[in-house]
Amino acid sequence: MDLTSQEPVRLQIKEDRFWLYRRKLGDFWRLYRRSALGKLGLIIVSFFVVVAVAAPWIAPFDPFSFVGDPFLKPSSTYILGTDQVGRDILSRVIYGTRISLLIGLVASAMTIGLGTVIGLVSGYLGGWVDNALMRITDLFIIIPALPLMLIMASILGKGMTNIIIVITVVGWTATARMVRSQTLSLKERPFTEASRAIGSTDLHTIARHIVPNVFPLVFANGMIAIVDAILSEAGLSFLGFGDPSAPSWGMVLHFADNAGATVNGYWWYIVPPGICIMFLVMGFAFISYSTDQILNPRLRRR
Amino acid sequence: MRDYLVKRGLSALGTLALAVVLNFFLFRIMPGDPTRTVVGDFRVAPEVRKVLIHQFGLDQPIWVQFLLYVQNLLVGNLGVSFQYRGTSVAAIIFGRRLFNTFILMGSSIAVALLIGIVIGTIAAWKRESKFDVFTVIFSLVTYSMPVFWLGMLIILVFGYYLNSIPIAGTITVGLTYSNVFEYAADYLHHMTGPFVTLTLSFIGYYFLIMRDSILDVFTEDYMLTAKAKGLSNRKILFRHAMRNATLPMVSLIAVEVTYLFGGATMTETVFSWYGIGRLVYEAVVMADYPVLQGIFVVMAVVVIAANFLADIAYALLDPRIRY
Repeated sequence: MDLTSQEPVRLQIKEDRFWLYRRKLGDFWRLYRRSALGKLGLIIVSFFVVVAVAAPWIAPFDPFSFVGDPFLKPSSTYILGTDQVGRDILSRVIYGTRISLLIGLVASAMTIGLGTVIGLVSGYLGGWVDNALMRITDLFIIIPALPLMLIMASILGKGMTNIIIVITVVGWTATARMVRSQTLSLKERPFTEASRAIGSTDLHTIARHIVPNVFPLVFANGMIAIVDAILSEAGLSFLGFGDPSAPSWGMVLHFADNAGATVNGYWWYIVPPGICIMFLVMGFAFISYSTDQILNPRLRRR
Repeated sequence: MRDYLVKRGLSALGTLALAVVLNFFLFRIMPGDPTRTVVGDFRVAPEVRKVLIHQFGLDQPIWVQFLLYVQNLLVGNLGVSFQYRGTSVAAIIFGRRLFNTFILMGSSIAVALLIGIVIGTIAAWKRESKFDVFTVIFSLVTYSMPVFWLGMLIILVFGYYLNSIPIAGTITVGLTYSNVFEYAADYLHHMTGPFVTLTLSFIGYYFLIMRDSILDVFTEDYMLTAKAKGLSNRKILFRHAMRNATLPMVSLIAVEVTYLFGGATMTETVFSWYGIGRLVYEAVVMADYPVLQGIFVVMAVVVIAANFLADIAYALLDPRIRY
């Protein structure tokens, strides 16, 4: 046997790993399918994803064009009426799905990413680094998020990128806390010790032994981060920090408020965007709840 | 207990110090002339500007500025407002506005807590009954609603359709009152909208936590003991279960103060309630940085104090906790 060629052996290991993950994912799905709430959440979220992707084909009008007189009531042509400059509200709500979903997903992904890195570093290194980072985490947990986001947004300026940055900088703490405590416990387990004992670098130990074990909890936590990000974005956009060229649902409500929709009784301008935010948030909350039931060993029903 | 107090106190002071540092540098990371955020606004008169530059050491190195900032903070000098053309920030925050916000926040949190605790207890007792299912769905719905949208809906329904609540402000503008009760009545009438909005948005959360907490308590041995003693259901539920389950809620109140500021910002903006939350929004729109910086410090003090008090209250209420 040719000992210099180790290629087939390594391939074999990789394949095993693939099947392992595949099996784990299968297990997860089997448990997830049993949860009625989880399925409902998935259906709601899928619905909005389809609307976001298919927006150009579903929307009756271009969301930026002035297609009719201002403040038209709902009719068969303009199902949700028109806004103060004569744009079709339904089309704006449909296109708003894209922006709300996009900002929610990107901002929460960044929040989770930042929180995970800080949590890993803090938990793994310990010592003064941990102390300093946890002090900062304490502060960010205690300071009211929305006012801080507003202050930062006023410093950075309007726009989609800045909204994402603001949500990330203010929102990473919950993930960091959780990842840190998990890392602290994983650090003391025999397999991590073994990895260090055979001379692995810290980076290798973290990447190979800690991250895969932290991942399920991060994932469950991620769903709640999406909820927070969607609600934060809606709030910031409602207060006027959104990008007018990329209107989200919060932005539509901002314009509704500017047009005095509440005091004039234009319910068709106010109700639909809010309902969309509410259902999208509920969808992710349901998914989060079901995922947590499966991935969090404390909650898992036997 | 004394050691615990000292430890918590020092930790709270540490967090506060960090908040002050963050607050100082947050407003100096902006591009351009750093004095812009403190005095460099056309709305501030040149003489006032000169005094301020000296007071805050704006022509000196950054660490001198920081020391002067802390020194000014300790004597309550928060600088002057841009939008109100040189009025001191402290006078703006510590006037009517803080009072209005505390009244609104305090009453909402108290009522939401009370309702949450009671219906949470009942729902857990009648688990999986119609009442339980309805209240759980209700709290999920209110939890998922953006606060500002809830406020808009309340204005739409009660202000526009039913025409039963004022839609903006704290009192009726231009009205003269013959006595203090008339004033109070008008004030409370204006508070209805924002109060209902804030309360509704927080009930769901309290309810769910309380329900969980009671369900946890039900598994404890002393519940079985209470039953074995032959106590009535009412006594078991309200004397034994509710009391023990309320304990975690204490620390929750402090956490909620943090969220309340966010909720109040939204609600006060939607209802034009003359408070701190509305001031945050106005200051952001008007780029009134000194006011924002001042609010940040005041908010930090309030939430840190609330958390400190909750820690102490928790230790006092729960004899099992000894540090």
